[in-house]
Amino acid sequence: MAQRWTGRRQVDDGVRFAPTLTIACLVIAIVLAFLDRPDARIQPLANLRAGFNDLAAPVLELAARPLRGFANTGPWWRNQLALAEENRQLRLQVSELRAWRDVALAGQERNARYREALNLQGPDTGERITAWTVADRSNAFVRSRLVGAGAEAGVRAGFPAVNVYGLVGRIVDVGRSSSRILLLTDLNSRVAVMADRSNARALLLGDNTGQPRLEYLSREPDLVEGDRIVTSGDDNVLPRGLPVGQAFRDSEGRWRVALYSDAAPLDLVWIWPFDAVAVPGAEPDTSAVPELPSGRTVQQEDGVAGASQPATAEGEG
Amino acid sequence: MRANRDRDAVWPSVAAFIVSMLLALVLYTAPSSVGGLPDLTPSLPLIVLYIWAVRRPWFVSPPVILFVGLLQDLISGGVMGVWALAYVAAFAIARPRSDEGAADLGPLTIRFVVLALLAFGFAWGVGSAAIGVPAGAAPLITEAIMTIVVFPVLGWLFARRKERSAMFNSGRGG
Repeated sequence: MAQRWTGRRQVDDGVRFAPTLTIACLVIAIVLAFLDRPDARIQPLANLRAGFNDLAAPVLELAARPLRGFANTGPWWRNQLALAEENRQLRLQVSELRAWRDVALAGQERNARYREALNLQGPDTGERITAWTVADRSNAFVRSRLVGAGAEAGVRAGFPAVNVYGLVGRIVDVGRSSSRILLLTDLNSRVAVMADRSNARALLLGDNTGQPRLEYLSREPDLVEGDRIVTSGDDNVLPRGLPVGQAFRDSEGRWRVALYSDAAPLDLVWIWPFDAVAVPGAEPDTSAVPELPSGRTVQQEDGVAGASQPATAEGEG
Repeated sequence: MRANRDRDAVWPSVAAFIVSMLLALVLYTAPSSVGGLPDLTPSLPLIVLYIWAVRRPWFVSPPVILFVGLLQDLISGGVMGVWALAYVAAFAIARPRSDEGAADLGPLTIRFVVLALLAFGFAWGVGSAAIGVPAGAAPLITEAIMTIVVFPVLGWLFARRKERSAMFNSGRGG
């Protein structure tokens, strides 16, 4: 009974696996690896992941708390020197930013007036959601973070995650109280970006290295090293203008991006609620158009729709 | 009566196995790079699995190894089945068949190195197939080296414990 339960057999030279059970386990693992494709994950497996993350997140959060404290540990004198230097730099930045704040406020006010004048419909962004990283086991196959905020906090799949300096990634799996961020460096990450200076468009492709590649550039892209790269919003997945990083050429001459988000640890992130522009349906919904007393619709009355309208006009002509 | 005693002896081991494995998984995925430190976490689940496979050879069965591998896949957010397959295949080839020589750190470590190299090799192959391109070997090599470097510390503690229990049993028998 015990042998059947454990799947191992006691023999003279020790304990052996039951071959059938070993093969069955290998087959199960292969089938799961085949079904659980990151680019086309089936719904039951996605639900299983979300449920598991919800269960694991509180435990992982307990383990992560003391580790967060390590960031502030170290020799007392080293901390003091670092704090003094940081304080000096922050004072400088604050004095510079005061001037920028006035410029930004003036620009915001002017922008609002332009939007009103043009009746510009921008994407809606709601209140940002703060989340702590509870697990960050990135390896050769995946670059992701588990954060302790899920559907209950308003997180939805596709929302961008940023830290103090820039874009970190976007949400892929959402559980009740946890969600997983696919980092920009992950192999499955694709983000439409542009150079802030020249508006040169590109696609930022993660390749499981520290610095993602810029691909699908034009033949002679208007890019120079150090260009600020931001999201372009062309993919209708992320909002336009989120800071991503700085462009540079690697040793092989390919364009890559040094991510701004690397400048700070990813323990605290903000998730921005972002509703992408809805794709228009193939056929307009005519049921919503009110009926006129004569039996004709508003569109027919105005002469802007309906296949018979031009024919009638032709006939009348 | 004896069956009851055996069952009593098993359940503490089951509880200890579950607790140690959960601890290994939690520490493995804890955000160690939070303080800006490099991520040099060894594969603690593999170490714990191996030590238990030596301590209780009949205890770490293929379904248990599969389950631990799946937990590692799920908790790290990777493709399900990669580490599960790597662990089951590695243990099927280089499993510790008995606890003979478990008190000797040298052979214990050599056997673990072989097992770890196989596991990481399989993981690279399966993971690359799963993501569709050859995965970068550097992170896996770093993790494998850290795992092999850290193992003797835990292995030494285990060997000492095994040695003490062997001495205790021989003294009681004499």
